[in-house]
Amino acid sequence: MQQDPYGDAESLFRAFYHGVVRVAYSLAGNKADAEDIAQESFCKVLAVWTRIAALRTAAEQRAYVTRIVINEALRVLRYPYRKRESLGTGAGEREAVDDPVDGKVQARDDLHALWEAIAELPEMRRAVISLYAAGYEYEEIAACLGISSSAVRSHMSDARRQLSRTLSRERKVARG
Amino acid sequence: MTMGAQGDEHREILDRLHERGRQRAGALPEFDAGKTISRAYAVRDAGAVNFWNVLSPTERSAFERAARPRTFRPGSVLMREGEPAEGVVVILDGRVRVCLSEDGRERAIAERGPGDLVGERGTAPGNVRSATVVALGMVQALVMETADYVAFVSEYPGVPDLVMKQTYDRRGRP
Repeated sequence: MQQDPYGDAESLFRAFYHGVVRVAYSLAGNKADAEDIAQESFCKVLAVWTRIAALRTAAEQRAYVTRIVINEALRVLRYPYRKRESLGTGAGEREAVDDPVDGKVQARDDLHALWEAIAELPEMRRAVISLYAAGYEYEEIAACLGISSSAVRSHMSDARRQLSRTLSRERKVARG
Repeated sequence: MTMGAQGDEHREILDRLHERGRQRAGALPEFDAGKTISRAYAVRDAGAVNFWNVLSPTERSAFERAARPRTFRPGSVLMREGEPAEGVVVILDGRVRVCLSEDGRERAIAERGPGDLVGERGTAPGNVRSATVVALGMVQALVMETADYVAFVSEYPGVPDLVMKQTYDRRGRP
């Protein structure tokens, strides 16, 4: 059964708010940045509302909002120390944004290069691999983006292959 | 290190991120939807959003890749009312005047500056220009063709919806 689309931006955003902050917090790792991502995402939802309102189902709207949130999260992950004019975001919580996965200095650089490369992927590959990095399983990713599990698998393997190529090329440039 | 392993470290990192993401989702702090929403309205109502500002760095660099940089001399015409709208222009530096011809005279109706997108009609194919835009001084701009703009918007869902905004024409013309 397909749910009718939401008729106003606020109801839509409230309905998917849990998913929005889950993606934001799982990727950013701190509350201040997650709030910032959520706020910027809603700004974008308002700005593109006519397009979201024209979608046929709530599931399509959810997929659209999810893609917006992922792009906002990648913005934060790529530029963790950028100067911001946000409303009262605590600067002290910022360090957690790009913490190395295993505490090694090398890992921090690898991680940054990875977010850069992910941000440059085509739309669906970018969305699928970002949700995977946020801890979502394939079935959950499929539900969030309104595609089949097999489509998720196919986008994942394309994304991984493209990331391998991009990152090994960058590494050669860095060493050469 | 073997050649084959180069670039493949990301698989391991991704799997670790995946695990970390699951753990974070399990310990999700409380968020206030009302606060998020009212802050977003405040940002919008403050008028702090012009086209270039609202784009993320990723979107900006994608826009720059697909667009062509151009310099317009003072007094030169960026687009002319009634001509086919074949693209959009983002002003990076300088100011422009937006004019309409009324009763055979050019009438200035607005000015636009850095970050503004002019030529919204060029966001969709088949339109004609609704106004004439003239450079007031030296103007640095990015020019993007309609087909490239359509592709750009479909790739980046967060880009402001200018196509719909332009449907209410200032003079009631279609």
